[in-house]
Amino acid sequence: MGKTRVYIFWLLIVVFMVSGCSSNSSNPNQKTLTLWYWNRGLDDKLIQAVQKQFPDVRINAQKIGGDFKSKLKTTLAAGSSGPDIVAFNDWVTELFPSADRFYDLYELGAKDIEPDYLDWKWQFGVTPEGKMIAMPIDTGPTALFYREDLFSQAGLPTDPEEVHKQMGTWEDYFKAGEKLQQSLGNKVKLTDNIGGIYTQINAQSDKIYFDKKDDFIGENSDSSMKKAWDLAVQASQMGLIANANSFTSEWNAAMNNGKIASFVGAVWCKQILMDAAPDTAGKWRVARAPGGDGNNGGSFLAIMKTSKYPKESFEVMKWLMNPENQVTAFKDINLFPSATQALDAPVMKEKEDFFGGQSTGEIFTESARNVKPAYFGSKYANLNGIVTRELQSVSLGKDPNTAWDAALKRLKKELLR
Amino acid sequence: MGEPLRQPLEPRTPYPATTKRKLSSEIWKHRKEYMAISPFYLLFAVFGLFPILFSMYLSFQRWDGIGVMTFNGVNNYRFMLTDPEFWKAVGNTLLIWIYSTIPMLFSALVVAFLLNASFVKFRTFFRIGYFLPNVTSLVAVSIVFSTVFSNNYGLLNYIFTLIGLDPVEWLNHTWGIQLAVSFMVIWRWVGYNAVIYLAGLQSIPSVLYEAAKIDGASGIQSFFRITLPNLRPIILFTVITSTIGGMQIFTEPQVLVGNDGGVNGGGLTIVLYLYREAFINNYFGYGSAVGWGMFVLIALFSLFNWKMVQGKGTM
Repeated sequence: MGKTRVYIFWLLIVVFMVSGCSSNSSNPNQKTLTLWYWNRGLDDKLIQAVQKQFPDVRINAQKIGGDFKSKLKTTLAAGSSGPDIVAFNDWVTELFPSADRFYDLYELGAKDIEPDYLDWKWQFGVTPEGKMIAMPIDTGPTALFYREDLFSQAGLPTDPEEVHKQMGTWEDYFKAGEKLQQSLGNKVKLTDNIGGIYTQINAQSDKIYFDKKDDFIGENSDSSMKKAWDLAVQASQMGLIANANSFTSEWNAAMNNGKIASFVGAVWCKQILMDAAPDTAGKWRVARAPGGDGNNGGSFLAIMKTSKYPKESFEVMKWLMNPENQVTAFKDINLFPSATQALDAPVMKEKEDFFGGQSTGEIFTESARNVKPAYFGSKYANLNGIVTRELQSVSLGKDPNTAWDAALKRLKKELLR
Repeated sequence: MGEPLRQPLEPRTPYPATTKRKLSSEIWKHRKEYMAISPFYLLFAVFGLFPILFSMYLSFQRWDGIGVMTFNGVNNYRFMLTDPEFWKAVGNTLLIWIYSTIPMLFSALVVAFLLNASFVKFRTFFRIGYFLPNVTSLVAVSIVFSTVFSNNYGLLNYIFTLIGLDPVEWLNHTWGIQLAVSFMVIWRWVGYNAVIYLAGLQSIPSVLYEAAKIDGASGIQSFFRITLPNLRPIILFTVITSTIGGMQIFTEPQVLVGNDGGVNGGGLTIVLYLYREAFINNYFGYGSAVGWGMFVLIALFSLFNWKMVQGKGTM
């Protein structure tokens, strides 16, 4: 004990304080841009390369863990400080009412690069008033994941193109599912859960809950809401659903044990499936989805109004998301490109062992090109939650008509809030 | 018999009535002492009092968390009282509270009684052992329990099939979810309450038991006539704390079945509902209103429990 320890203690304090202050570099022109994203939301290697590309910029990249959206909203509510650049997920539409809290990227020159990106993806970041609050990172084109071996045992086609030909519509897909379950002694279910079917059918549509005036269109005949509901109910009544909620441990186990023969999901399900079901490696294939191509998920970058360096931020974003770097990000962490040129890159045609040597990139690329531009409206997630909750009750025995009425009643109440 | 021994407090000499001027000079005189205790009050004002008052204000506003607040009158409260999901959440919370609290307090009493018995060895070891679940991370516990109660691949269903029973899809039934949540609460809180009961048991003077023995009372008689009445204030304390805790149950169902409370909303408790409405659906004003609704419920419920436990003891 004694004085030495006290000295060491004070020394440490001084060291911490000095090191805490020394983060400002000697370059007086250097601008520090703070970036918020989540793990695997952006390619870390590219973020590190920003400093080389822009000598005047120091990037302070922060991975925000936990509930990213809540943390972002708390920061926005506080009004001051916060990051310069921030990543959004597909809940970007929830921020449209607060569009004035972000820079309009069109004013910073985004028009020039608009033709380089998939139009439907680009439009997700543009408010109905024509302000662009967020620019594309990656996309989530959807397709049918299926077990080639199980399809073969059941006498169904196994080649992706044949599968798509026979199961082009959801009705045909369900019919094939009935055959599959019968041939396999009802030990395998066609697909995972009722909410997944509902969400995926809506993901293929361009009219779901709202038009661009934010009026509710769910009851119109051209909206996909009722169609998706009816098809999901039909699948449930035909007994084609395993009731395993997506990406739960239950789902992982069912996939790995071969209890589920197929599901429609976005390209990012690939990684989840590979981690969840290592025992089924080589047995999966991917085909164009029944009902058409759709998009599910995918993220964005925006610049907060509190930022002092909007121009620099936009330049950094533009560079990070240019077609060339999108290919890099796809190679590094499987972020599926949103830039059309990147979709043509040779890496998209690489064969994958988990999918029995199929190059699934070709399927997803095709899907990505055919997604219809949709408008989700700021309350999409709330409404979708209400409907899928009722659907889940249906899958466990609730009368579908009662459930539909309950869902509509609750939706209308929600719209008045 | 039956009336607990109470040490009547000596009546204190009342403080001399002070005028306002005197009070402020008293405060000034003791400014150092007030300074010394001020950190708590300052922290409380910033992190306790202000949020409470602000949430009161917020509950009359419409606010998505980012944009402008607009005055909403009593609409939040009206929506809450007419929303079937809110009442479902209240019902779920009460059910989970009943499923968990009664077995929990009963087993805690038994555990405490055993720990207090002279024939048990390694008492400290057991005390620590029973208390340990209480300091375990709640999320970790919930994840472990979710694998125990998992529908098709759970540990419990594995045991069921081993002994020839049909597996049960626990998390596909309202009662199954509530049972799983209750089990978690019981597992976590038995030890905590047992330790409190143990302290109460040890404070009962042994002369009472000796006197009862001499009068020829059986063990059961002395339990009901001596132990229980003397423990009544302690039982009241545990009932009220578990009421407050039980009304605020959140992490267990959230990790077990997700933000929607699982199938048919079986695990949708009041706080989970509040969280979903505020942080998932972005109705922060409404979330505050639910918070105040919950405050009223807890107050009523504690009062009810207090009356009940108080009244029961008069034999």
